[in-house]
Amino acid sequence: MEDNPLHPFELHDWIPIALGGLDISINKAVVFMWIAVSLAAVVMIMAGSSRKLVPGKLQNLAEIMVDFIRTMIMETMGKEGMRFFPFIGTLFVFILFCNLLGMIPGSYTVTSQIAVTAVFAFVVYGISLVVGFMLHGVKFLGVLIPPGTPGWLVPLMIPIEIMSQLARPISLAVRLFANMTAGHVLLGVLFGMAISGGLLIGWLPFVFTVGINVLEVGIAFIQAYIFTMLSCVYLGDAFHLHGHDDHAH
Amino acid sequence: MPQFESHFFSSLIFWEVVSFAILFFVLYKFAFPGILSMLEEREKKIKDSLDQAEHHRSEAERKFKEYEAKLNAAAKEAEGILAAAKERAQRLMEENEQRMTVEAERIKGDATREIDRERRKAIQDIRAQTTDLALLVAEKVVQRSLNEADNRKFADDALEALSKSYQQ
Repeated sequence: MEDNPLHPFELHDWIPIALGGLDISINKAVVFMWIAVSLAAVVMIMAGSSRKLVPGKLQNLAEIMVDFIRTMIMETMGKEGMRFFPFIGTLFVFILFCNLLGMIPGSYTVTSQIAVTAVFAFVVYGISLVVGFMLHGVKFLGVLIPPGTPGWLVPLMIPIEIMSQLARPISLAVRLFANMTAGHVLLGVLFGMAISGGLLIGWLPFVFTVGINVLEVGIAFIQAYIFTMLSCVYLGDAFHLHGHDDHAH
Repeated sequence: MPQFESHFFSSLIFWEVVSFAILFFVLYKFAFPGILSMLEEREKKIKDSLDQAEHHRSEAERKFKEYEAKLNAAAKEAEGILAAAKERAQRLMEENEQRMTVEAERIKGDATREIDRERRKAIQDIRAQTTDLALLVAEKVVQRSLNEADNRKFADDALEALSKSYQQ
């Protein structure tokens, strides 16, 4: 079993359920998704209900998170972007808690499932398209022609920009999935080496395991941040057509 | 890769959507408003405190300037008073001196006039006595008494001559 570093990502139906023709069986990933969501809800509600001017630890943590998201939205979308605060905030909290929960040995990293990250990515991208067309109408297609493009380049730029637009949700989904998977695979491989290497040489990969673990906690935060940040940027592009092109990639 | 087993996609996506929706609702209703309002409240409080501090600072500066100006004015006023007092003293002194001089002059004048009058009176007296004496002498010489009018005439003539010679 230790030979296959992808083993921790395998899923098995624990409780088979079917809704109509849809298979919605409970598996390990679903259970850990629920745990992450419950933890997130409890932490945020507790932090939100203690309204002290000088905050305690939990309140401080939640406030830092909320302030962080708010700043992110303000910088990318401006004040009108605050309408998306609940969505962006929930997205950040969801991804962050799933990422961090995955760091506990024996748990499951929900965000290492491409299906999960892809849904978020396409929902975010879909919302940005809807907002863009609602605010700018057909002019939103101008997003395919970067400002300052000379006329003769337009036929070339449109296909390139279409590709770049399509790459947005895919890169968003793959980035989170790949980061979460890779970290855990690396940990698995190193730990396997530590076990098979024995005491004489095995301490070396074990030290690495500890180091990588610390790094992975950082990556859990950073990937949650990158995912929400890019979501904000894409939504911001929809808000201000050509306004924030330099942030786009 | 186990993540690409499409068998689990439907359940993962279904539960993801449900979980996200629940979390969204819960946070939207119970967590975000409180935390956001708390943040805004604190920001406002901090801003107010800073504004107040700034206000106090400028107020203090204004007061300081005011006091400084008052102090300067007081110093100037004191200087003015001192100068006026000096000038007044000087003027009084000069006035006194002048008055003294005038007084002295007056006293001197008085004294001179008094002396003059005394002198004249003395001359008058001497003249009268001399007349009487001359009469007496003349009476003795002539041995007879002229009448009073003659007496007077002779005496006056004699005196006239006498005073003329005296004045010369």
